[in-house]
Amino acid sequence: MTNKYYEFFCPVKVIAGKAALEHIPYELTGMAAKRPMIVTDKGVRAAGLLDPVISACEESGLEIVSIYDDVPPDSSTGVVRDIAGIYRAEKCDSIIAVGGGSAIDTAKAVNILVSEGGDDIAAYSGAGVLKHPLKPFFVVPTTAGTGSEVTAVAVIADTEKHVKLPFTSSFLLPNAAIIDPRMTLTLPPHITAATGMDAMTHAIEAFTCMAKNPLSDAYATAAIKKISTSLLSVMENPKDADGRLELAQASTMAGIAFSNSMVGLVHALGHATGAICQLPHGLCMSLYLPYVLEYNIESIREPLGELLLYLDGPDVYAATPAARRAEASISTIRRMRDALYKHCQLPRTLKETGKVVEAQLDQIAELALDDGAIMFNPKEVTREDAREVLRRAWA
Amino acid sequence: MLAKRIQPMAFQARRLYVELMFQVMGRALQAVSEVDETVQQEAIALPEGFLFEMMVMPNGSNLIVEHTGNGRFHYHGSTAPRPVDLSIQFKHIAHAFMVLSFQEKTSVAFANDRMLVDGDISYAIRMTRVLNRLEAFILPKLIAKRAVKEYPANLHLPEKLISAARIYLKVATNFVETVRA
Ligand SMILES: [Fe+2]
Repeated sequence: MTNKYYEFFCPVKVIAGKAALEHIPYELTGMAAKRPMIVTDKGVRAAGLLDPVISACEESGLEIVSIYDDVPPDSSTGVVRDIAGIYRAEKCDSIIAVGGGSAIDTAKAVNILVSEGGDDIAAYSGAGVLKHPLKPFFVVPTTAGTGSEVTAVAVIADTEKHVKLPFTSSFLLPNAAIIDPRMTLTLPPHITAATGMDAMTHAIEAFTCMAKNPLSDAYATAAIKKISTSLLSVMENPKDADGRLELAQASTMAGIAFSNSMVGLVHALGHATGAICQLPHGLCMSLYLPYVLEYNIESIREPLGELLLYLDGPDVYAATPAARRAEASISTIRRMRDALYKHCQLPRTLKETGKVVEAQLDQIAELALDDGAIMFNPKEVTREDAREVLRRAWA
Repeated sequence: MLAKRIQPMAFQARRLYVELMFQVMGRALQAVSEVDETVQQEAIALPEGFLFEMMVMPNGSNLIVEHTGNGRFHYHGSTAPRPVDLSIQFKHIAHAFMVLSFQEKTSVAFANDRMLVDGDISYAIRMTRVLNRLEAFILPKLIAKRAVKEYPANLHLPEKLISAARIYLKVATNFVETVRA
């Protein structure tokens, strides 16, 4: 018998498809919630994405009691405290997060404060601190990438102490994720591309890193197939609602996969690069993905080769000899990146970003070695290894 | 305590083995940090006075070491002078045994949800790298390959220290045999 053991957990109800938003009132009522608060950002509001959410609720006689639309891209403890204050003053009883990673993380943290009490969110930082379920919480993602709607984690910056506070608890998971194609229909091309590649990276790392397991594998492969089929066609035709829904579902599926089996070196390098060079997360994922797969290749030959079926379809898979499938998977990913570069100049190398200087590579390597994701990379990454991958990704 | 009396001997042997192995690792951590540059380089990023604990849940055996500065560790036995900064906790003695008898790699144990981290995750990763390095020192190459993701190419330690650590290991191996018997 092998030592193989795994855990898989995802209690989030997924409400997906046409007119999904209209299910929110029913779901809220089912949890005896009558006074929801919306947590979102200015961009979402400006894009008119709140309107269908609000009218879906009002048509059912459910009043949105309060809207906080000022979540910054990197949320902080102060923002969380302010929103919790408004929630209490307005006597809200539930939270709807509408937005991307930052709005969702902020809403998760607000939910801790308004459920557990107090003003100091730092007191709840860490793993397993929460012992009770929180207030009814719903998430409406507006990007198809982060998968935050199905992860049990939130990260909030403590701006006074200059640290990032991590929160992990299965109680942070929303009661439901509402995936409606209307919410991603107007996503600009470069964000569609970057967030799509973030979801792709979640699925590929979930499938090739150390904590992979049969259940997360099923979600990961299905997500990869959807992204490979739909990302480029949505880039061609942004108003394709079916394609948008495919990408949004793929993002949630990839989120379920990686929240149960973790990510690896692509994310470790990406987090470090994001922090040092202020580059968007999805862009970093797309950039590093092939270089890291090449670095890991001898440890992941079998699973990576298997992915060719989902990346490029059964014909190519069948026509490629088993011994060359891993390399073929990487080539397919490279072709996809080239196509995205043509569409919206999504950078393929650090040099192409125009925001990284070569002298920063050592600093990035150093920070990446401290990132939690590196623990689950199938190969033990040394300082020199990380530097080498970065040198290859440079140009 | 009926349950305790009917426990097979193997359970007690396992407990003793884990306890002993924590002592071995604690001492070895201190010793290795005095001579090995790679370990010092990792440790030097930890705050001075940083307390690291490895323990078996809910309150079983444990080991505590302190970073006393300059990349050096000091072994405190099983009692901490103040609340610890980072704790790596095995969910069950059975999981601790698998890792400490080198049947499951530390990184695999993390991936398999065998243990939890309480504290800063970046420090936990640093300590995992230190533990990998340590295991490579203590164990004969063949077993170490099983215990760490990759066997380091540059191991230089005074023969004396290695043999001292291996003496501990010999005692430990006897326990494995007892348990397996
Ligand atoms: Fe990501």
